[in-house]
Amino acid sequence: MEEKQTKPQTEYSGHYRELFYSFRSDGTFNKEVRLHDDSDKLFINQAWEVFDERIENALRKVLAGKVSPIVYYMEKDLLDPLSLAMQAGIPLWRVKWHFRPGIFKRLKAETLQKYASVFSITVKPLKQVE
Amino acid sequence: MEQTNILIDYTHHQAGHCESGTTSNLCRHYGLDLSEPMAFGIGNGLYFSYIPFLKVQYAPMISFRNIPNTGFRRATRRIGADATVIKKFKNPKESMDALDRNLEKGIPTGMQVGVFHLTFFPPEYRMQYNMHNMVAYGKKGDTYYISDTVLEQPQTISYEDLQRVRWAKGAFAPNGKMYWITRVGTQVDLRKAVSDGIAKTVYEMIKIPFPLIGTKGMRVLAKHVRKWPSKLGNEKASFYLGQILRMAEEVGTGGAGFRFIYGAFLKEAGERFKVTGLLEAAEVMGKTANKWREFSYIGARNCKNRSEPVEDYGMLGDMLVDISFMEEEMFKKLEHIRF
Repeated sequence: MEEKQTKPQTEYSGHYRELFYSFRSDGTFNKEVRLHDDSDKLFINQAWEVFDERIENALRKVLAGKVSPIVYYMEKDLLDPLSLAMQAGIPLWRVKWHFRPGIFKRLKAETLQKYASVFSITVKPLKQVE
Repeated sequence: MEQTNILIDYTHHQAGHCESGTTSNLCRHYGLDLSEPMAFGIGNGLYFSYIPFLKVQYAPMISFRNIPNTGFRRATRRIGADATVIKKFKNPKESMDALDRNLEKGIPTGMQVGVFHLTFFPPEYRMQYNMHNMVAYGKKGDTYYISDTVLEQPQTISYEDLQRVRWAKGAFAPNGKMYWITRVGTQVDLRKAVSDGIAKTVYEMIKIPFPLIGTKGMRVLAKHVRKWPSKLGNEKASFYLGQILRMAEEVGTGGAGFRFIYGAFLKEAGERFKVTGLLEAAEVMGKTANKWREFSYIGARNCKNRSEPVEDYGMLGDMLVDISFMEEEMFKKLEHIRF
């Protein structure tokens, strides 16, 4: 989780060179190691903007008491309800049921532990988001 | 406990795609000079599927590659190498012990891993994706030496972290899957291998009687792309488009959703076996790959400002239809080339 915070906030791409192939007009295929194109950066950045927005929204909703903290941690780990259900080993409909704050408060310790291990945190921060 | 210190003399080559890259690197380790495009083509890397009802990170699932590990299995089978794949382990401890035993015997071992908790992976590519491949080629104490073909340099990873990524959960969970080659024969019939590989790819791209797979799938995608702005609104349409482009271009595709690598494969095969049909096909493949690049170039402009599309989605759909027909025609010609 530590890398999460150090993730660059403005520029999301352009630090790692990859191997790209290209096709030239003379009919040869060419290999080169380079950074992503500027056009590629547009959609990579967009994706991260969308995910960051989702994380912020989720945090706001959790703090307002509209949804349970599971939603925030789910967005933070770039999960969707289905993959969260698969990783926690809990049926999808129950995961969605646990998104309600009232239901979340009454969860058993075992179930909380299942979620906590997916997010690799302990139960305490899972219950209380700040 | 004494400190283990093993370092296998294994050369790391950077590659476009993780699976064909590891396959080619492993073959080179055993003395067969198999380039990455060749490994990719023989192992049927090329694919296309679009599954609108399955959402990955809130966007429809689209895949340009085959199911994980088919590439390695098919490539090694066709070139007649002795390869072993262990699909599943009972528990993490056992899988790590098996890896250690392999390294002690001096066998560089490939593994399927999840990307999200991979410590050395570029942070911008972090996603819940379990189909990545890498090779372990040494161990010192509790640190493993890893060759990851996406990155320029070999990396290291600790025991706990490696165990964790090998036991990532979710869709296509690796369950500790590992694979290795023990021997590559000296007399490899590459001609037969290439011919079989092409035939299978042709089948997978144009012959599977299911509308969402192969070139037919591209046309379904085109139809949906046209409808997105009116059906979902501009913001969501732009996000969906961006996710498609990410799958095609972002990480480990060599550009244009593997089309460049496949073109390079056809070219290499054509030159090696002196088949003009393959060279022509390579030319067409290169052109379609450039079209894919153009598609992502133009599509990316719609991702700049999510609420105001610059380009028309209808036009993007038309481009996809063009590409699909170009590819389909090429595969139909490839089907009849015998060599």
